[in-house]
Amino acid sequence: MAADFLELSGIRKEFGEFVALKGVSLGVRQGELVCFLGPSGCGKTTLLRIVAGLEVQSAGTIVQAGRDISRLPPMERDYGIVFQSYALFPNLDVTANVAYGLVNRRMPRARREERVRELLALVGLPDAGAKFPGQLSGGQQQRIAIARALATSPGLLLLDEPLSALDARVRVRLRGEIRALQQRLGITTILVTHDQEEALSMADRIVVMKEGAIEQIGAPSEVYLDPATPFVADFVGKTNLLPAQAAGDGRVLVGGQHFECDTRAAPGGGALRVFFRPEAVQMRGVNGSTPNSADAVIEKVEFLGAYSRVTFRLGGIDQPLYADLSVNDMSWFRLKPGDTLRVSVPPERLRVFEAP
Amino acid sequence: MSQIADASLASATRATARARRLRVHWTDRIGNALLLVAGVALAIFLVAPMATILAKSIENRAGDFVGLANFDTYLRTPALLTSIWNSLWVSALVTAITLPLAFTFAYALTRSCMPFKALLRNLALVPILAPSLLAAISFIFWFGNQGVFKPLMGSGQIYGAPGIVISMIFATFPHALMILVTALSLTDARLYEAADSLATPAWRKFLTITVPGAKYGLISAAMVVFTYALSDFGIPKVIGGNFNMLATDIFKLVIGQQDFAKGAVVAIILLVPVAVTYVVDGYVQKRQSALLSARSVPYVPRPSRAFDAAMLAFCALLAVLMLAVLGMAIYASFVKLWPYNFSLSLDHYRMGIVDAGIFGAYLNSLKMAFWVATLGTVFIFATAYLLEKTRGIDGFRPFVRLMAVLPMGVPGMVLGLGYIFFFVRDGNPLHFLYGSLGILVINTVVHYYSSSHLTALTALKQIDAEFEAVSASLKVPFWRTFFRVTVPVCLPAVLDISRYLFVNAMTTVSAVVFLYSPNTVPASVAIVNLDEAGDIGPAAAMASLIVVTSALVCGIYFAIQRWLDRRTQAWRQS
Repeated sequence: MAADFLELSGIRKEFGEFVALKGVSLGVRQGELVCFLGPSGCGKTTLLRIVAGLEVQSAGTIVQAGRDISRLPPMERDYGIVFQSYALFPNLDVTANVAYGLVNRRMPRARREERVRELLALVGLPDAGAKFPGQLSGGQQQRIAIARALATSPGLLLLDEPLSALDARVRVRLRGEIRALQQRLGITTILVTHDQEEALSMADRIVVMKEGAIEQIGAPSEVYLDPATPFVADFVGKTNLLPAQAAGDGRVLVGGQHFECDTRAAPGGGALRVFFRPEAVQMRGVNGSTPNSADAVIEKVEFLGAYSRVTFRLGGIDQPLYADLSVNDMSWFRLKPGDTLRVSVPPERLRVFEAP
Repeated sequence: MSQIADASLASATRATARARRLRVHWTDRIGNALLLVAGVALAIFLVAPMATILAKSIENRAGDFVGLANFDTYLRTPALLTSIWNSLWVSALVTAITLPLAFTFAYALTRSCMPFKALLRNLALVPILAPSLLAAISFIFWFGNQGVFKPLMGSGQIYGAPGIVISMIFATFPHALMILVTALSLTDARLYEAADSLATPAWRKFLTITVPGAKYGLISAAMVVFTYALSDFGIPKVIGGNFNMLATDIFKLVIGQQDFAKGAVVAIILLVPVAVTYVVDGYVQKRQSALLSARSVPYVPRPSRAFDAAMLAFCALLAVLMLAVLGMAIYASFVKLWPYNFSLSLDHYRMGIVDAGIFGAYLNSLKMAFWVATLGTVFIFATAYLLEKTRGIDGFRPFVRLMAVLPMGVPGMVLGLGYIFFFVRDGNPLHFLYGSLGILVINTVVHYYSSSHLTALTALKQIDAEFEAVSASLKVPFWRTFFRVTVPVCLPAVLDISRYLFVNAMTTVSAVVFLYSPNTVPASVAIVNLDEAGDIGPAAAMASLIVVTSALVCGIYFAIQRWLDRRTQAWRQS
């Protein structure tokens, strides 16, 4: 495999006593969109700012396109950046904002204007040139900020929580637009977010971070379906996580009942945790002989639009469990609190972790 | 493919030594160099003169080290001790009277629905446009030996403490008012709504919501008034008679008796109470910031006939008194020969100023104010920008920050004295500055540095913190962004700083009184000299010229601001 476009190795960052990054290493391939995902304080923004040269790593190296940029000031690195606040220049119109980085390159005026038109068309705001940032909506400002960052054709695009200042509807639309734009240009992109849906829908690969360290790197489906740690399982999507005991090869004991699953991830045995997604719970065609089945007592039914979330209890387990049911399933079962029903979780949808 | 790797401690430490710092781009080097220059300039023109005072205070006349002997002699001189006591009780009395007056006025402006608010507010701020000694001159015309109301004084007289106190009230009133208006505006209306819903009586709302809310403003205003009164030189000089205060003592010791060592001792004694108030105020400012959250609802007063009428009566009375003080000085400047011939003429302007050859002093002040307002503003704003928005030389920045706020705690007389001590010495390569207009300009910029710096800082903190980062990513050097974005966005604050510096340069007496030469006498100092020579008519004329000039210049700034608002409306509206 060719060398990664951007290689971070052993990136460490301390602020006094506090260790913000504990030696992070990862590679970003040419043309891919990588999401740094994690709760606030996990170090994802610090990592982005280190890539940008806005913070200095306490240790570690960064290589971009074969060039060691570890010690280069921002001016000598090759990236475009979009901040959460967009940082558009309020006193300059959109054209001047987008052309800001072009003016310095002694580009002839006509060529420059053409480039600005090109970029505004690219972000879908061809007529915004004469307006000031304050006259645009949040979503439009966001796209102008992207156009400005792309104007100088940088090799790397850095997006710091670019959608978090927008309302939900615009956010969902822009996710798609940014992703489409990124794929069209084939520009290597790092996106920082704390919104797991955003990460799942946009990224080629997700880097899940926690307390200054990487928990997992993987494609969205991998991170979602096959989380590497209980933290990832819990942070990305809705999760059922239960305490369990090892009960020999391919079997675990949960609340006094045996379940079949792949136990290779926890070869040590002893105390375990079992994980499955709410949508993995099956109710149709389940009977006493279905593997991994048990009687569930329905506690609550929450209507959430496209699906309903059912809270239920299993005998011998102290905590409530969740299942997501489609509208069709719901109208079939007509569940209400107090009902009892046989449910199952297919062995391939169960995952075990060693207990912390 | 990448790996999740915990870098081992050893390799981390090895890399630490290598990669702690980024290479510095040449554009950043220029920023760092400029900041260094600014820091060195502040060190030379603020720290060095102050340090010289300290040195002088522990030397005898011959320049030998004598330890605290000077302090010892000073504390054994009853006359000088009296000055300390005088300064303290006069300042305390001025504070005790000004504060309630200014608070009531501010309360009327913010919490009543009285009419003519803007007019009354502007009238109350008029004293800022005048040198402080204008009030003293005016009170002499009202209550002095040949004053209009002399008979009212009975056996007492205005010269001395009474005149000083009343003049200082006039001079300090607007300063306290501005602080208190701000403090009272920062109130969350929801607190009053909550109190109303609990059927709280008005007096209780006042004591439990209004006063605590304005507490820091009150403390801050008290400090400002107290230090102003303590360090003002013009008023006691003109109307003080034989009543001695610390600020006049320094002048007499240094200019009259050439006793530099004792002058330095008084300067240091003057620094003590000012430093205390300065520290308290700094503490208060820090606490204040958390008072109002972004979600607070501004208080909107409701009309109440009796209350509004009472407030209007109070404010109108004060405004009339203010006008009476200002008006008397202007009127007297036109009176042919007080108190014998009250016909109006331009004699004091024509003969007293122009023919007497001191119109040059007015031109000096204009020139000085111009340079202070332009070069000073550029220096202060650029330094604040470099401090706040550039990177590098991080160890040096705290010193510059400290020096920028230090002048707030240095009375003008002390700063001026430091300048003589430091620049008069022949060995000093900057000796050539002494006696030039340049030293007056520099001294005035330093004297009024802190407020201007804080104004600049506030404006800079309000703009997006990432402009410089974006510019760097676009390979645009910081100065381009400074000129194209930062300055235009901060222009209102820049104009504010410039106007503040101009007016203060026109009116200041205390620091420059030590530093002028025959060719560079500023107008405010000319007033002191005229008064000393008994030419109180021309003194009033000169003071009036200063007021009119300051007012005119404020008008010009106001017009520029309006024009700017219209031009930039398109992008400021968001």
